[in-house]
Amino acid sequence: MKIGKMFKEGLLTKNPVLVQLLGMCSILAITTSLFNGIGMGISVTIILICSNVLISALRKVIPSQIRIAAYIVIIAGFVTIVDLALQAFLPELSESLGVFIPLIVVNCIILGRAEAFASKNTVAASAMDGLFQGIGYTVALVIMCVIREFLGAGTFGGGILNGGEGIRILPEGTPAMMMIMPVGGFLTLGFVVAGFQWLMKRMEKKKKEAEKK
Amino acid sequence: MKNVLYILRIVGTLFLITALVAAGLAGVNAITQPRIAEYKAEKMEKAMKEVLPEGENLNAVAFTDETGMVNAVYACDAGFVVEVAPAGFGGTISMMVGIDMEGAVKGVSIVSQTETAGLGAVAAATTSSGQAFRDQFVGLSGTLAVDKDGGEVDSITGATITTRAITYGVNAALACVRNLG
Repeated sequence: MKIGKMFKEGLLTKNPVLVQLLGMCSILAITTSLFNGIGMGISVTIILICSNVLISALRKVIPSQIRIAAYIVIIAGFVTIVDLALQAFLPELSESLGVFIPLIVVNCIILGRAEAFASKNTVAASAMDGLFQGIGYTVALVIMCVIREFLGAGTFGGGILNGGEGIRILPEGTPAMMMIMPVGGFLTLGFVVAGFQWLMKRMEKKKKEAEKK
Repeated sequence: MKNVLYILRIVGTLFLITALVAAGLAGVNAITQPRIAEYKAEKMEKAMKEVLPEGENLNAVAFTDETGMVNAVYACDAGFVVEVAPAGFGGTISMMVGIDMEGAVKGVSIVSQTETAGLGAVAAATTSSGQAFRDQFVGLSGTLAVDKDGGEVDSITGATITTRAITYGVNAALACVRNLG
């Protein structure tokens, strides 16, 4: 098991959001404040680790003809557990994320990792994969949240810092309201993915040049 | 015979997995359910206290309502608390309206909503602008209208539909209390 390589894949070269473009629905919808982004990221990471572990443990028991049905039942189970736990222990976050918590069931990151990784690898490796892919997802969410919140509401850390109001950077009334709305989500995602690809290409080029010398 | 065994294996496996997940969910539900119910009740109580601070020993009373928005009316010596649910921009807005004995609004509190973050959701926010929006209803009576419709209620920027919904909710509550006499 190459932990370093898996970490790099989850965060950079195979980032679920910025490279694989999975789970777009939740990303566009909830990245309006830092609180939402971190909450959603952690929820997805927990579900991803749990479902990866269980699916990996059962990979020899589940007949391949019914694997998708079995995976969805397991994933839906964990999502409902997280949903209930949030409602009971973190009601503010549950209200703010609303319908997007139950919708994690159909978040393709989770089924994608179950099918592509957990169904072929050991339990420990699958747990690691879930953790790193979850971190990659969370990091992408946080980047989107910070940009959209700054441009759209003019604050940083809405929902967590400064008694929930966030630290005001731009004066009230000046920010571009559009960035908080779905349009802003698409625009931000486009620019973030483009910027990320540019960075990756540059790193690759430098690596190649260094190898030549 | 082989075919039957094969089908049984598939059906059995899927059944076992679903049964296991269902058992797990039942366990989690048993732990979280009382807490969720407690939180909801607490929230309703807090909203009632907020819209009618003097209200004690509130009792549900029978009411007549033409709008279909009113869910419940509670009465006490200090006034009434009306639970209304007008349709907002992104779904139903559940709110409480406190009304004093003279038939004027004492307070408005939004219990739950699914309005657009940063726009309509401001109406329910704990921020100063959200508080100011809800406080503008205090003291008003009769039938209210949003500024865009030539009325007295200042709408939230970019959220006329949300503002209208809340105003209709307040109107329904006022009308309902008037009907009580």
